[in-house]
Amino acid sequence: DRQTLVAVLQFLRRSNLRESEEILRREARLLGDDLGGSIATVATSSPGVAAVAAVPPGKGEARGDCGVGPSSRREPRKVGTPCAARSLGSSPLSEQLLLAGAFAVGGAVVVEDQPDVSAVLSAYNQQGDPTLYEEYYSGLKHFIECSLDCHRAELSQLFYPLFVHMYLELVYNQHESEAKSFFERFHGDQECYYQDDLRVLSSLTKKEHMKGNETMLDFRTSKFVLRISRDSYQLLKRHLQEKQNNQIWNIVQEHLYIDIFDGMPRSKQQIDAMVGSLAGEAKREANKAKVFFGLLKEPEFDVPLDDEDEEGENEEGKPKKKKPKKDNVGSKSKKQDPNAPPQNRIPLPELKDSDKLDKVMNMKEAARRVRLGPECLPSICFYTFLNAYQGLTAVDITDDSSMIVGGFADSTVRVWSVTPKKLRSVKTAADLSLIDKESDDVLERIMDEKTASELKILYGHSGPVYGTSFSPDRNYLLSCSEDGTVRLWSLQTFTCLVGYKGHNYPVWDTQFSPYGYYFVSGGHDRVARLWATDHYQPLRIFAGHLADVTCTRFHPNSNYIATGSADRTIRLWDVLNGNCVRIFTGHKGPIHSLAFSPNGRFLATGATDGRVLLWDIGHGLMVGELKGHTDTIYALRFSRDGEILASGSMDNTVRLWDAVKAFEDLETDDFTTATGHINLPENSQDLLLGTYMTKSTPVVHLHFTRRNLLLAAGAYSSQ
Amino acid sequence: MEAAKMASPKSAPKDAQVMAQILKDMGITEYEPRVINQMLEFAYRYVTTILEDAKIYSSHAKKSSVDADDVRLAIQCRTDQSFTSPPPRDFLLDIARQKNQTPLPLIKPYSGPRLPPDRYCLTAPNYRLKSLQKKVSSTAGRITVPRLSVGAVSSRPSTPTLGTPSAQTVSVSAKVGAPVSLAGQRFTVQIPSSQPAGKSATPTTPTVQNVLINPSLIGPKNILITTNMVPPGAADPSPLKRKHEEDDDYDAL
Repeated sequence: DRQTLVAVLQFLRRSNLRESEEILRREARLLGDDLGGSIATVATSSPGVAAVAAVPPGKGEARGDCGVGPSSRREPRKVGTPCAARSLGSSPLSEQLLLAGAFAVGGAVVVEDQPDVSAVLSAYNQQGDPTLYEEYYSGLKHFIECSLDCHRAELSQLFYPLFVHMYLELVYNQHESEAKSFFERFHGDQECYYQDDLRVLSSLTKKEHMKGNETMLDFRTSKFVLRISRDSYQLLKRHLQEKQNNQIWNIVQEHLYIDIFDGMPRSKQQIDAMVGSLAGEAKREANKAKVFFGLLKEPEFDVPLDDEDEEGENEEGKPKKKKPKKDNVGSKSKKQDPNAPPQNRIPLPELKDSDKLDKVMNMKEAARRVRLGPECLPSICFYTFLNAYQGLTAVDITDDSSMIVGGFADSTVRVWSVTPKKLRSVKTAADLSLIDKESDDVLERIMDEKTASELKILYGHSGPVYGTSFSPDRNYLLSCSEDGTVRLWSLQTFTCLVGYKGHNYPVWDTQFSPYGYYFVSGGHDRVARLWATDHYQPLRIFAGHLADVTCTRFHPNSNYIATGSADRTIRLWDVLNGNCVRIFTGHKGPIHSLAFSPNGRFLATGATDGRVLLWDIGHGLMVGELKGHTDTIYALRFSRDGEILASGSMDNTVRLWDAVKAFEDLETDDFTTATGHINLPENSQDLLLGTYMTKSTPVVHLHFTRRNLLLAAGAYSSQ
Repeated sequence: MEAAKMASPKSAPKDAQVMAQILKDMGITEYEPRVINQMLEFAYRYVTTILEDAKIYSSHAKKSSVDADDVRLAIQCRTDQSFTSPPPRDFLLDIARQKNQTPLPLIKPYSGPRLPPDRYCLTAPNYRLKSLQKKVSSTAGRITVPRLSVGAVSSRPSTPTLGTPSAQTVSVSAKVGAPVSLAGQRFTVQIPSSQPAGKSATPTTPTVQNVLINPSLIGPKNILITTNMVPPGAADPSPLKRKHEEDDDYDAL
């Protein structure tokens, strides 16, 4: 802060903006002779500061907006006085300056607006000479390739962030031709999984292009995290510091965060498993917070008598089935699961009578549940949406598998009844006044038989519907769309109740909490929001992703939310205070599906790279990788007791994986928990229990019924 | 997505070939053929808009010809207007921090369906019944010309559409008929039946048929077409009085 303040003062003095300088100095209470030592940072931060200072008058609000328009840059002096005074007086000044500092120091080395640069700065200039960038990079490349094998894999991680940052610097300083030749020469050396990013980069050739691209701006301002062992790091540091030109060292210090760990350097395979995200890997401290991944205790019921009678008569009841029921319901043990959150950690809605009835039904069904395993695979029932003209964009099925909803690209939401029972809406007010309110079956009488149908269409959105979610009590339906709103529909009147406006950009996914009342939505504005149905504004905003949030899921205990994003990371957020408690990197493409295991301990994620990754939430580690799919995985679901993981993908297949075996033997000794490295066995083939192909229908949704029958849904695409 | 049959190089115009190449460079390999047309249309429209703006700016600056600065200014202004991008990260982090500090609100038990205050819901009826008692007593039994009248525009604009018609019969007393018409921010067409005046002694019940928009489905602005059949049995129509009634209607609305 101090340095940047000094830099601003210096700049103001050069521009003869005496008054502003005095104001600032008075505010910062600095003395004139403190400016001596920080000349080096002056020129570099000055264009950035001029840009930032010039931007606010146009906008009127002092936001830390990194976007710099060419016209404002042209006339820093003219608008300097009024806006500098105004912007300096405003509160987010330090933020702006910080941004300007971070932005400009690493970047704008070549100072074009300041021809009167002193001799001291000329050396700095030379280091930033654009034509030498290629030499620096190839020098580093040469060094890394000549280093020892064990270090080479780790040091190769440097290539990609350095390449991107150097290229962006060249573009930002408007050295277009050098940037182009730099790109041509080195883009082929990067890892294959960065190719999508590089393609986007290749289209950014001018400074103005960077302005609108929020993801690239975030990339420039956030630090790319690398995990390197201490030995490799020492090697690198020694090499970079002994050379005369420290340009790369500057970039490393400015834009990279090197998380050093003590121990063996990692192998290429280990590294490849973990890298791939837009911001590098996750710092180890990011995954150290305590996460309550246990489940909340189920409330006890007075109903078990009925169930036991039922079970006695039940012919298919195997002795094994009695145990799970006893553990879940009415467990007499009072001791709290240490990993479970306290009951009242977050306020949850109370259990209504209808909910209790539902739970009883659930338990009865659970008693008749098929126990799945490698020998006993589930049957799969596929619901194909015909004549959808590739407009099917979202599907959801209720927990008791009675209704299925489809969200379409023509902005309609269609609800079907899966069971023979038709969909009925409540009668109109005129008719309701005619019924006998005292009769026993009043709940049936309020339903209108005349308009009962298998299908109900809900109109209201003005853009394709990208996400749908039923509430656990089957009273409400949520849908989110490209028009930026999330709509709550009543399934009793089949009308829209509320439109939640918060995202002003397409909302990609939404989900109700397992207990109802709360729901989460994630969209193009890179945040996920937590809402409650009775608040028109979000309760929590989860900001931190570098690119769109494409997938949002609640943890079974409703205390945590997992978000998958186009920046190829998965973050786990705490609902109570909005903190990010886990960051999982490793996917090489945007994440499109997430599934929590029923016991709450594990998370499975699927992305466009066709891999399913398994994560241990408690320790924050990757514990498994399932390879097999060849295209984006849009659906993931664990079976009701967590024995089987089903994955559905655009390659028209459903695959079943053995979840019990995948989570079985985890080596969690001190080293792995400390460093987060794990040697993943190549056992995808062993874990694969079956591959089931559809006739050219990509699988969009998977759902295990209460009895462990697998339902799948997709739209027939004819080719 | 269907696999695209790219236009054969011989027949496609040069622009289309360039666009196809751009798509290929950006890594898009599968697309419907009309994507190229849509992209070309967008490119043409965008460039035209920018150049027109640039011409305006350069003439404002009293320059003889359009130069790069004008174009740059035009691009910048249009970007701020049309292509808004999501807020920057630090802003989001800031508001997130503010929002996340407030504790989660407690949930009141047994409060029925949990919805926001009615103002923020879409559950309110978006029509209002307005009685026309005064008017009817003077207009009963007259032959009036069907007319279209427009009411005030509502504050929340949205595309007006027609919903499902639901017939409602309103029975009205004989002499002083008070047909209800739905007024407000919609089109009302009053098509009174042309009945000979002073004819039948028995009161006929006028039917008001309203074409209602299902209020829950779409936005608040509705088109309502009401057919209003004025009951007969009043004073005999005379041309003067008819004109008077028409003026009345204008005033009322």
